[in-house]
Amino acid sequence: MRTVAEFKIEYRQILNAGGDIVAPPPGFARDPGALLDMYRAMTRARVFDSKAVNLQRTGLLGTYPSCVGHEAVHVGVGAAMRPEDVLAPVYREVGTQLWRGVTMTEILTYWGGDERGNHFAGPRHDFPWCVPIATQTLHAAGAAMAFKLRKEPRCALAYIGDGGTSEGAFYEALNVAGARHLPVVFVIVNNGWAISVPVAAQTAARTLAQKAVAAGVRGVQIDGNDVLGVRATVAEALEAARRGEGPCVIEALTYRLGDHTTADDAGRYRNAGDVQAAWKIEPLLRLRELLKRSRVWDDAREAALNAECAAEVDGAVREYLAGTKPRTDAMFDHLFATLPAHLHEQRDLARKYGTSSGGG
Amino acid sequence: MVEAIALAHGWEMQHDAAVVVLGQDVGLNGGVFRATAGLQERFGKDRVQDTPLAEATIAGMAVGMAAQGLKPVAEIQFMGFLYPALDQIVNHMSRMRNRTRGRLTCPVVVRMPHGGGIRAPEHHSESTETMLCHIPGIRVVCPSSPSRAYGLLLAAIRDPDPVMFLEPVRLYRALRQEVADDGRAMPLDACFTLREGTDLTLVTWGAMTIETLKAAALLEERGISAAVIDVATLSPIDFETILASVTKTGRLVIVHEAARNVGVGAEIAAQVAEHALFDLLAPIRRVAGFDTVMPLLKLEYDYIPSVQRIVDAAELACAE
Amino acid sequence: MSTFRLPDLGEGLAEAEIIEWHVKVGDPLRVDQPMVSVETAKAVVEVPAPFTGTVTALHGAPGDIIPTGAPLIEFDSGTVVGHMPPTADEDAIEPAAPVRPRAADSPGAVRARAVPAARGLAKRLSVDLASLRGSGRGGLITVDDVLNRVQAAPAKAGNGSFDPAAAGGRVEPLRGMRRAMAQSMTLSQAEIAGSTVCDDADLHDWTRRGDYMWRLMRAMIHAWRGEPALNAWYDARSQSRVLFPYVHLAVAVDTPEGLIVPVVRNVEGLSREDLLQGLALRRQAAHDRSLTPEELRGFTLMLSNFGTLAGRYGTPRVVPPAVAILGAGKVREDAVAAAGKVEAHLRMPLSLSFDHRCITGGEACRFLALVIADLERPE
Repeated sequence: MRTVAEFKIEYRQILNAGGDIVAPPPGFARDPGALLDMYRAMTRARVFDSKAVNLQRTGLLGTYPSCVGHEAVHVGVGAAMRPEDVLAPVYREVGTQLWRGVTMTEILTYWGGDERGNHFAGPRHDFPWCVPIATQTLHAAGAAMAFKLRKEPRCALAYIGDGGTSEGAFYEALNVAGARHLPVVFVIVNNGWAISVPVAAQTAARTLAQKAVAAGVRGVQIDGNDVLGVRATVAEALEAARRGEGPCVIEALTYRLGDHTTADDAGRYRNAGDVQAAWKIEPLLRLRELLKRSRVWDDAREAALNAECAAEVDGAVREYLAGTKPRTDAMFDHLFATLPAHLHEQRDLARKYGTSSGGG
Repeated sequence: MVEAIALAHGWEMQHDAAVVVLGQDVGLNGGVFRATAGLQERFGKDRVQDTPLAEATIAGMAVGMAAQGLKPVAEIQFMGFLYPALDQIVNHMSRMRNRTRGRLTCPVVVRMPHGGGIRAPEHHSESTETMLCHIPGIRVVCPSSPSRAYGLLLAAIRDPDPVMFLEPVRLYRALRQEVADDGRAMPLDACFTLREGTDLTLVTWGAMTIETLKAAALLEERGISAAVIDVATLSPIDFETILASVTKTGRLVIVHEAARNVGVGAEIAAQVAEHALFDLLAPIRRVAGFDTVMPLLKLEYDYIPSVQRIVDAAELACAE
Repeated sequence: MSTFRLPDLGEGLAEAEIIEWHVKVGDPLRVDQPMVSVETAKAVVEVPAPFTGTVTALHGAPGDIIPTGAPLIEFDSGTVVGHMPPTADEDAIEPAAPVRPRAADSPGAVRARAVPAARGLAKRLSVDLASLRGSGRGGLITVDDVLNRVQAAPAKAGNGSFDPAAAGGRVEPLRGMRRAMAQSMTLSQAEIAGSTVCDDADLHDWTRRGDYMWRLMRAMIHAWRGEPALNAWYDARSQSRVLFPYVHLAVAVDTPEGLIVPVVRNVEGLSREDLLQGLALRRQAAHDRSLTPEELRGFTLMLSNFGTLAGRYGTPRVVPPAVAILGAGKVREDAVAAAGKVEAHLRMPLSLSFDHRCITGGEACRFLALVIADLERPE
């Protein structure tokens, strides 16, 4: 007997939970400005997220999937991507969207039940939120194929959750990305839970990163609460893909500190002790600690940042709430490039019985 | 209604050791809508299994389990997530009996929430029963009350063939009714006449029974006696009951939440045209969802047919 | 003062139970501050304060169940900063017993069964279907049954009773063309808002006598180009008219079997020879009864040259969906006043009937004036 294939999965962490740099830091980590930008973005995402949950609790927003605890992945990915790269998100990546220029008002508009929230002004080429699990990974592969065919130095990046890696579409995306050597990076946000189902019940694999191996794709596991490690690893993967070195799978280990969505009650199936433990290693704490040790941060700056973010969020909430309800016949406006004649009658009917003659 | 569904599961699992439940979050969490609440505690993790997050897995496993003697009751979390499972349903579940000339069968129930109206996110509110009704070899059932959910689910589990069981989300918690947990199943080939009438027949199913019954009450105030039929078993359909009512009233308005184009309403209209055209006093009318994408929550009630739309269509039919 | 109503805290939740209030009446509140814990069918949820203000009333105590959409708390000086419509009202309905009723009434026992076209015709002609005995299979009422009733009706009205045998007459059911005429004229009578305008064309300057048919058709095409409204269909159901870019002219032909109206298509593009030939062919076919249904359909304008037989003016009938028919009476010499003197001029009397529902009197008169102008040209 001889071994014909072997694999190993590396684990990477640069900033540990205590705020210590435990591995050679990447260049940007030596720039306090860059670190502060990331810390600010993570705080912004968290303040926004907490307000969004409250808006749902008071009937002002539809079901909303909180991203609390995921800020390091979201911001690390956002900072590693170039504006011209394409993002294919799931439905929780508020931090990445905000970094890439989607506005808070647009995000609220979508989760408030209005498709105009997907018509964002920022990264026009990015895909919208994707609710059907894992389907977006193939879109990213397709986008990467488009770049490859046109010889553009651009990459696609798809997010997926731990649960999503059980879907056939995910394996198919890895397979084609490997087979066609596509410039695409898959970031698995392993937050431990697919609603109530823990990762251990999803798969017998020791890591999710190793799912890349069968597709002939590089896979790496990182600490998803370490924004330095996320940004460095994703940036390296994107640059390698851009150079034509093919796809990569990055499994970022984090924890879903909140419920799956506002329609969920994680208390029903999760151990409170585990959640408390996870709060001790959450991503903002350790970066704040690092900044404080670097003497670029203190409690006064922290309070000022929180107030600034709260004011920005309040402004966005006001703008969102002041927005017009979509017109009743908006549901026909973008069904086709040109509405077929046989649907005009239905649109008239919708107008007749509709409740809204407001905005676009 | 959601409790009635859990009760039916419990009864049948208690009385038939072959029944197993599988799906996403059906175990400890008891289902995202709580339709399988308490089952795992009662029957254990072998008989109430959380599956990996993969719908093709759920449907394909159900085929395998059923072909080898189990009676799987599978939950798809929302109808919008059914599509990865369609390959298994269309190509295997629905035709295993036929392909093997009866040697292997698929006594499977695939349950799924159906329709909109609960302010849920994108892809959570569609009504695509027509796609399922078009597939030969499977039954499609859609209950409209707690007692019918109980009785029809029992029948679905006991049926020797695959049954798609569509549960209207709007009714999960909106309807309260005492349901006797007596293990009594209801027929899978019968419409339910919810209201008798002589001037007009309103045919509907699922959550739209609510609006349709309200419309019938309003019509009564205006002197129009409307029968209301809950189709309940969408494929195959009990056309006998519908035809009997239409030949009596001469007027038919079909109400459904799903898009109009090639909807189940079109099949009902065609059957009535084929068998009772000469008894009609007025053209058949359909009050249906529009042939556009189900909008997000701000406009979802502009999409779902309103009581007024039903009343207006009924009055038009009666004016002929 | 603002009332905050319990929102749907999950997806389709009908109610929630109050677990604990974190505020009491008189307390100042800041937006997003925890306000009350409630338990729904799905979760225990902290509801934060929606506004900044002062609590003036709490609706419900711990243990109370609050329906979605019911008032939960009242605030003073709180600003309402937005509104989401409440979820659908979800009144519980009383479901019917889960039995399987079958309507047992035998079809037809309750009501007359009729083919849809017969039902539509009966409605238009105010015929009570219940009073008819259907001649179709199983007593099915047909279009003919309705028409027979209508044709019988005037005699009935006039004589009090209609007994052909007693009247000494011979009963002869209408068939073929005569029956088709009965149907189309009944339809015309029932639908059209008919109006007729008459005038004469002075043919004194004609260089060549005869050729009336060709000149009439040419004059109608000329008139149509100037006044297109008469070459049209009217659909009463949708209250819309269809204007055509071509003229399919129906020409009335008298035969022993009855009136028949074959159609010459696209007359606007035909030469004199083609037109006359086409017409002759159709006339012959009419007499031979070899016209196909296709050759009788789709006309957009009608012409009756009844003057070849007799008659000066008439009230020709429009057959829907067409909207106009021109009738030409017998050409004869008339004494006309010409430049102060009485002269004998050859004149053609014209009668234009039109459907006043979609054609104005002005349009009809303009059309007629254009017909006359073309007819009065020497060549």
